Amino acid sequence: MDIEKRIQSLAARLKYIQDIFAEREDANIELLHSKLKDFTDNGGAMSAQEAARQVEALEDLYAFLEKKLERELTPMDKVRIVRHPQRICLKDILENVYDNYTEIGGEGEYNIDPSVLIARAYITRRVGGKVYNQPIMVIGQEKGHGEEFRNGGSVKPWGNAKAQHYMQVAETENIPIHTYVFTPGAYPLEDYPGAAQQIARNLYEMAGLKVPVIAVFSEGGSGGAEAIGLADVRLMLSHGYYSVISPEGAAAIEGRLRGGQRASAELIETCARRLKITADDNRTMGYVDRVIQEPPLGARPEHYDFFKVLRSEVIRATDEVVLNVRGWKFFRAMTLSAQRNKRNASAEDIYVRWTLSAGARDRLVWRRYQRFRRMSRHAYIDNSPLTKKVERLAREAGWSVYSFFKYDFFRKHKKKFTHMLEEIGSEFQVVRDKAAVPLRWARRALAPGRAAVCSEEAGKSLTELSCWDKGSCDTPGVYVSPQAREDRVLTCTNAETHGCKDLWAPDLFGDFAGVCPTCGHHFRMEYQWYLHNVFDYGSIFEFSRSVESGNPLDYDGLSAKLEKAKAETGLKSACVTFEARIKHVNVICATLVGTFRGGSVGAAEGEKFVRAAERARKKHYPFIAYVHGTAGIRIQEGVNGVIQMPRCTMAVRRYIEAGGLYIVVYDTNSYAGPVASFLGCSPYQFAIRSANIGFAGPGVIKETTGLDIPPNYHVAHQALSRGHIHGIWDRRDVRANLNQALQTMGGRNLYYR
Amino acid sequence: MRIVQACVKLGLDFVCVHTAADAHSGHVRLAREQGGPGSLYRISSYQDANELLAVADDAGATALHPGYGFFAEDFRFARRVTERTRALTWIGPSWRVIRDLGDKINTKRLARGLGVPTVPGSDRPLYDEPEAEEIAANLFSFQREQDVARPVVLLKASAGGGGMGIEEIHDIDSFRMTYRRIRNYAKRQFGDEGVLVEQRIFDFNHLEVQILCDRHGGEPLHFGTRNCSVQSTGRQKRIEVAPGFVPAELRYSFDAAAVLEAVKDHSLAIAREAGYDSVGTWEWIVTPRGEPFLMEVNTRIQVENGVSAVISRIGGKGGVDLIAEQIRCALGERPGYTQKDITFEGVGIEYRLIAEDPDNKFTPWAGRIDSFSWESAPWLSVHTQVPTDEPYQIPTDFDPNLALAIIWGKDLAEAKARGLEFLDKLVLGGTDSTGVELKSNVEFLRHKTENLLVF
Repeated sequence: MDIEKRIQSLAARLKYIQDIFAEREDANIELLHSKLKDFTDNGGAMSAQEAARQVEALEDLYAFLEKKLERELTPMDKVRIVRHPQRICLKDILENVYDNYTEIGGEGEYNIDPSVLIARAYITRRVGGKVYNQPIMVIGQEKGHGEEFRNGGSVKPWGNAKAQHYMQVAETENIPIHTYVFTPGAYPLEDYPGAAQQIARNLYEMAGLKVPVIAVFSEGGSGGAEAIGLADVRLMLSHGYYSVISPEGAAAIEGRLRGGQRASAELIETCARRLKITADDNRTMGYVDRVIQEPPLGARPEHYDFFKVLRSEVIRATDEVVLNVRGWKFFRAMTLSAQRNKRNASAEDIYVRWTLSAGARDRLVWRRYQRFRRMSRHAYIDNSPLTKKVERLAREAGWSVYSFFKYDFFRKHKKKFTHMLEEIGSEFQVVRDKAAVPLRWARRALAPGRAAVCSEEAGKSLTELSCWDKGSCDTPGVYVSPQAREDRVLTCTNAETHGCKDLWAPDLFGDFAGVCPTCGHHFRMEYQWYLHNVFDYGSIFEFSRSVESGNPLDYDGLSAKLEKAKAETGLKSACVTFEARIKHVNVICATLVGTFRGGSVGAAEGEKFVRAAERARKKHYPFIAYVHGTAGIRIQEGVNGVIQMPRCTMAVRRYIEAGGLYIVVYDTNSYAGPVASFLGCSPYQFAIRSANIGFAGPGVIKETTGLDIPPNYHVAHQALSRGHIHGIWDRRDVRANLNQALQTMGGRNLYYR
Repeated sequence: MRIVQACVKLGLDFVCVHTAADAHSGHVRLAREQGGPGSLYRISSYQDANELLAVADDAGATALHPGYGFFAEDFRFARRVTERTRALTWIGPSWRVIRDLGDKINTKRLARGLGVPTVPGSDRPLYDEPEAEEIAANLFSFQREQDVARPVVLLKASAGGGGMGIEEIHDIDSFRMTYRRIRNYAKRQFGDEGVLVEQRIFDFNHLEVQILCDRHGGEPLHFGTRNCSVQSTGRQKRIEVAPGFVPAELRYSFDAAAVLEAVKDHSLAIAREAGYDSVGTWEWIVTPRGEPFLMEVNTRIQVENGVSAVISRIGGKGGVDLIAEQIRCALGERPGYTQKDITFEGVGIEYRLIAEDPDNKFTPWAGRIDSFSWESAPWLSVHTQVPTDEPYQIPTDFDPNLALAIIWGKDLAEAKARGLEFLDKLVLGGTDSTGVELKSNVEFLRHKTENLLVF
């Protein structure tokens, strides 16, 4: 019966409201509850007409109150909305937004990773009596409606690998990609391929994808979201959240909780507010382009109107991207932009072909890079005066021009010329040797005494002081660690198993470079040691010093912490970028310093890293990222931090594709975001023996997956066997190994090649 | 033991460490007699720096004598002793000198810089194959010029030591293969690819110069030369004779007196240049053609210092004690005499009595010594940790050294005769756990005495 159905639906709505507002059940919800109860109690006695009237009144009341509640939603309520099992999922979208689709790879549970859903979908447009079928690759996390096997949309590394594969397929087929982000975060496994490793690969892939990518964010949790979120247009559902970490995770860090403890609801609530995770916040900060308005209290599968809106938004976004890079666009682009502000205007009225020509693809990638390059400019402090900024820009422009002429223009011709000279020279050599035969014979016959003189010379060279020219002039500087000034004795951690002798601190940190001479255990060494012992003496020149870490979200307490860190380390951010030389080879190096807020990466660090990569590209220098330790993205900067993952990755990709050599060296603990993006994507990654490398620390893995991880899960040797890094170096050999790497690896376009 | 004696002689307080296995040794007995039980500390190992320094702190010591071995040439330990918060005086050269002269390559370069002859070859690790090959080729032609019948060139891993990573080649054709093998071995084993190329010298005599310097940069003094050419197959010294050669009694194919002078002068020059400030030994090899080459510098007092002391006269008086001189100088005193005051008289022979089997590759013998005695004489002094009045179990942790006997004679003939007399009258007996008779090198020493200093 109709009325009963309507009552059932009202009851479901009430249940949903109660779920969302959980503990804070206020008067409004009470009211709804009692009204509905009254009605169901008296329902039998009423006439059908009366009942219908009352139900209608009830429905009006519900609609009114839902709108009212909608206005009072807190960020945490929105988090509960997106996590609710009744929230729309990717399958709903595929069925209602696209006209036809086929899921690729697996059915329900029988899938390599059921939390990733990939589909070839079609959008059909009827324009001017013609029917156009446009294929799209849809990639997204599938939460389902509470099914256990979907793992809540938490993607395992191989799920991301699959996503990466189908991005490549879409590129080959030259069709646009629509990604839907429904994930609380990636599943932090390190088994092959590691979560960080795979996310880095995904980001690297997407940074150079030559097809339009549209991302729609509903639930965007950190690295998991980034794995498919690097897009030309980023749309966001109005009730979604996009954040560096779940509010619970932030609360656990904020409250310094250890395993098993739970953060209080209030703390979680404040963290959610402070992190600025909602759609409107992200829109204001510029990390998403548009917000798609959802029905009150969030979209559920029965909101068919919403799917229409979503459809027209994704189509329009794809059209925009395509038209922006296409040659033929005049009127359609104008119409599209005019339409944007009109209500009820459908994007389907104009046909835009979504395949791109070769030129358009390059423009697409360039525009994508520019878009991300401009992001998060407000989030760091640059106190340098205007003249300095202008000077920097002028110098960069100068370098571009200079490097164009020096490397792209002259070198080509120079090469040809030298090749020709070499040919002529070797021909001449042969002729001369032939001609010299009788001459040599004559000389030997005439001057037998010469030999004795020669041997006397040789004898002298054997008994007299030779010139130690090699290696003596380019020795690195001498740096004495403050740890080497203490008179104390350290016991090596492997003393039990390897029988190491106790070590006197001045020996250990002075002569042994903090390495146990018996077993090779690496003690902690501060980053200054590397600056002085790896690079040539006095060759370090720091740049972008003026970029300073700020507090873009006005997060409580961060400013004070930053002040403290700045005072303690004398640095302005956790990233130090400089030019230096290694055995006379100029390099650009970006160092992440572990002592500055755990080496966490925020907007300032990202900006410095990007600038360093660009500088290296312009100067054709090798680019070394030395990680003295990083704890991940600086969570207090929220999305300002997380956006550095795609930003820096794109800068790195641009550098590598320009023929550079990008080497990453990990020391100590390197975890999470940076490893899962701009560090992890390097083809040449090395670790010093003391390194631990991974996506999430052991505590976090235990917390999120419930798995007990094996001991030494993150040590460098494990990372090597997983294929994440490509070699393990001894700290004492870093200089020699780096030099070797510079001479032998990658980089077809370096200045010294 | 001799350090304790020197301390007693200088009137200094001392404490003495020993391990459990050494509890019955002579130095422990002597220390107990001279300093009482409070002057003895038992430690678990002679090699544990922490323990030694803890003993020094506990005893309130102000200076530390590292003995002959283990730590005496360890510049890190010397530095730690002098630079720790509670610094001690290091009885030995300053740690910088130990570091600089402890490195053979550095020593060789220092010597060449001063024009001191060294073994022909490279004086720095070679990393460049063509360069190394050129040096090797030069070495072959150099030796051929000097009429060496079978020229041999040594390739050594520069970071190696103790005989590891050394190979010889007999012609230049096998150079490349050997060079690469050594280089790869060195890289794998020591983490450094450097290779040294040197001439190999056969049938040489091993000479030493005893040097003494004070802490005030005074003119370095020498206490004559020693000849340590009588060695076991493992190149362990068995007999030392001072002076190095006796041109007065024996005929040499070269000008032996001039060689001795040159060796002393060169040693003093290096000591001056390096800023040497303690007792040390300059080791030389002398080829059959009479060319001296500096080999290395031992920056410590050596066991055989007594044989140089026995022929030295300061201001005409004997009874020189080099260990006492070392302690005095290390504590900042000046020697109080010059080279002119040091004269030499007669010939000294030092025997190392060791429980070993010379016929069987000098295999050590371990067991219990039942009888050990000798006839004392004014020309004889014996240093031993083995008691003469009770049986003694040789500790298996260390080399089975039994005694040092130093004999003096007014010339070589007399010294040799007295040496044989000492060996004849020596009583030495014992058995090991399986009943095998004690084996010692007495016969070996007797046999070698015949041809002492003949070259």
